[in-house]
Amino acid sequence: MPGGQARPAISGLMMNLYLTAAVAGLAAGGAYALLGVCAVFTYRLVSVVNFVGAAIGAAGAFAFAMLVEQGLPIGVGALAGVIVGAAVGIGVGAIVTKWFAESPASTKAAVAVALLVGLAAIGLRITGGQHPHDFPELIRGSAFRLAGVEVTNASVATLALAVLFTLAANLFLDRSHTGLQLRALSERPVAAELIGIPVHVLSLWVWGVGGAATALALIIIAPQRAPNFLALSLLVVPALAAALIGFFRNFWVTLVGGVAMGMIEGLASVIPGLGEYRTALPFLVILAVLLWSQRGARWDDAR
Amino acid sequence: MMRASLRSAATVAIATLVVGGVAAGVLPGYWIYLATAVLITAVNLLSIGIVEGRTGMISLCQLSFAGVGAWTVGYLNVAGAPGGLPLWILIGGLAAMPFGIAIGLPALRLRGINLAIVTLGFASAFDAILAANTFPGQTQFLQVPRPYGFDSDEGYFLFVLIVFVLIAAALELLAGARLGSSWLAIRHSERAAAAHGVGIPSAKLRAFAISAFIAGVAGGLLAGYLGTLVADNFTMFGSLSLFAVATMAGAQYAEGAIIGGALVTLFPELLRRLNLPQDLGNVLFAVGAVQALSTGETISESLRRVRGRLLRRRATETVVLNRADLPRRRDHGAAPALTVRDLSVCYGAVVALDDVDFDVPAGSVVGLIGPNGAGKSTLIDAVTGFLPSYEGSIELQGKALEGLLAHKRAQLGVRRTWQTNRIAPDLSVGAYLMLASGGLTTAQLRAALAWIGRLDPDQKVAKIDAATRRILDVAGVVAARPALALLDEPAAGQSYDEALRLAARIAEIPAVFGSAVLLVDHDMDLVRAACASVTVLDFGRVIASGPTAKVLELPAVKTAYLGVDETVAA
Repeated sequence: MPGGQARPAISGLMMNLYLTAAVAGLAAGGAYALLGVCAVFTYRLVSVVNFVGAAIGAAGAFAFAMLVEQGLPIGVGALAGVIVGAAVGIGVGAIVTKWFAESPASTKAAVAVALLVGLAAIGLRITGGQHPHDFPELIRGSAFRLAGVEVTNASVATLALAVLFTLAANLFLDRSHTGLQLRALSERPVAAELIGIPVHVLSLWVWGVGGAATALALIIIAPQRAPNFLALSLLVVPALAAALIGFFRNFWVTLVGGVAMGMIEGLASVIPGLGEYRTALPFLVILAVLLWSQRGARWDDAR
Repeated sequence: MMRASLRSAATVAIATLVVGGVAAGVLPGYWIYLATAVLITAVNLLSIGIVEGRTGMISLCQLSFAGVGAWTVGYLNVAGAPGGLPLWILIGGLAAMPFGIAIGLPALRLRGINLAIVTLGFASAFDAILAANTFPGQTQFLQVPRPYGFDSDEGYFLFVLIVFVLIAAALELLAGARLGSSWLAIRHSERAAAAHGVGIPSAKLRAFAISAFIAGVAGGLLAGYLGTLVADNFTMFGSLSLFAVATMAGAQYAEGAIIGGALVTLFPELLRRLNLPQDLGNVLFAVGAVQALSTGETISESLRRVRGRLLRRRATETVVLNRADLPRRRDHGAAPALTVRDLSVCYGAVVALDDVDFDVPAGSVVGLIGPNGAGKSTLIDAVTGFLPSYEGSIELQGKALEGLLAHKRAQLGVRRTWQTNRIAPDLSVGAYLMLASGGLTTAQLRAALAWIGRLDPDQKVAKIDAATRRILDVAGVVAARPALALLDEPAAGQSYDEALRLAARIAEIPAVFGSAVLLVDHDMDLVRAACASVTVLDFGRVIASGPTAKVLELPAVKTAYLGVDETVAA
């Protein structure tokens, strides 16, 4: 048969192309996963749907880029960036904790949205609006080849970071005394305070840790992203989609969901006619999860 | 009440038209141009106001809906569709509605903040779609024409003004109707709204669909304003910023929407003139929104509070009860109102109700008493459909209620009051009674309020004390004239005299309104005066049942209540 020989070769080539694209999405997937796990972390511990999470990380990432531009060594800059991320996280947490500790979840979510608007506006102003900064690669090079496809060190790093954070969050919440205290805190802050839990300090810790982890993830993936403050802040969309996959409860499912979204996005980018719409993916994921999860009416505890 | 909302719709319309008309005559051209932008933004803010301010949900994609409206107008223009801009704008709004419904449908059946997440996702997806598509007609330099006769800047300002007034007035009318009241009720307490027979998902969905329509109209207006549009007009960040403005200004009111529109349009103008960066506006909006959320009061609500203090309240008229005006008794037949068999409810390892058998005959007032934790409220929750699951059977007039959601049970004729106050404070007493009863004439409404205790229908629920709210809750349930009314501690917080008066009212409910009553209360004088028979619960079991006077003398009942063993004490 003429051409019979060529077809397997072509489909092999296509397979390879798809695989490359999917693997290229791993770095983003790792970041989505970590951001998603952070969102679940914040939701479970201080019951805030954290719309401002990625913006907090973006503040840290831009601090890193700008400090390195000033001549700081990359490693020190990254450390400084993580610290800035933690500090901004604590700042946001202070606002939420001070004035909204007892507010219903919907009010806290609205506050987070408002803070996203404010933080992004301040960030755009400080970082010079749409003018891109040069993001140095904190982690460069490729780690190994998987089925003939390069896996970058950045992908390995974000994935490892995401897995590590998931593991730590799980152990912390389920096994440690402080984790137990924090779970009490998210349900009834005042009651928790009355039995002697240092509510205020613990909440700020949650925000600080979340901010630091998000900053680190964004520092690693920023070189592959449109390097403007708003674009990084709006990574909250895939992050919340991932968190929704885990129903804002399960860290591991969130992790897998985030990674899968990154890989599907990578795949979509090489499919003609689909690539330019790939940022619509989180929306489809959100719709799918919501459609799948609704069974009967449930009542909020509070109302 | 309908008349009040007609009045406020007319006030909004006339005030806006007068101010706008004067502005069109007085302001120089550039300011007219800016004022048009203020109004277009105000229309969009109204669309957020329905969802956020009235119904208590978060929508973060209003500019995407506006984009759908604008793009539709653009396509109709390129296609040379008949009707011109006014019709195209309407079609643009209608085109945004299915998007709203498709997004809202999966998000709104679940409670919580899913709508915020799904709308944010949609805004992000819409960004991608717009980035890949230019505005229709842009490549041929085809502008969207303004309507004939309104094509100057002054003319288009008046056109936008008319659209704004129509929408704002329609929303005022809607706010006074049952749907508007049910939105406020949902915002305050979804359970209480469901207990009035309001289907929560459908009421929310209607709010969201109307909101999408109005946002789509705003997009169409913008297309006529600018002639051609770019993706930047409809970004996700723009939607987020608009949400912050709506939160700050209180966009559920017309004046709040205009203040918000002015902030969005004029603040950057001010910053520009001061040579300051214009994006500082978003920082202000964020701070303003956080401030409004922390105090629980938006700009327009503050204004209304101040105005309310300045205007002298008219004296409350004393309403004399005219029994002929009361809502007519509804005959529910002779079938037992409530039949409970083998009802068991467990919360984890705790058995709240254990094999309870229980009846409320038609036309009777039955008391349900027992110490705290005996399972009285759990029984009411089970009957009204607010428990995730129970074992046994519950029948209303012989019809099984199993599998029916709370609002369906309410519609069938099971109505309840609440121990904790769940009446939306933003409603007026009259509007609440209309919502709860499902529709009364003005005379019936006044009579029902006079019957329960001389309440002023125009007063806001926020202004009346907790004990009065409880009897208002009772009035609402009774005015609906259901087959079965479950009253959960209505006398809590009432003085002794008030409680006795209430007892007389409760005792006559079957004769006056036709409903059978299950009364839960700790006030034994109330129970004695109102109930012909009582059932006593203790630790989830029925320990006694029968005529009131006899049951209250039983040693076992006294033991359960007083904690002393009568035989030992004697």
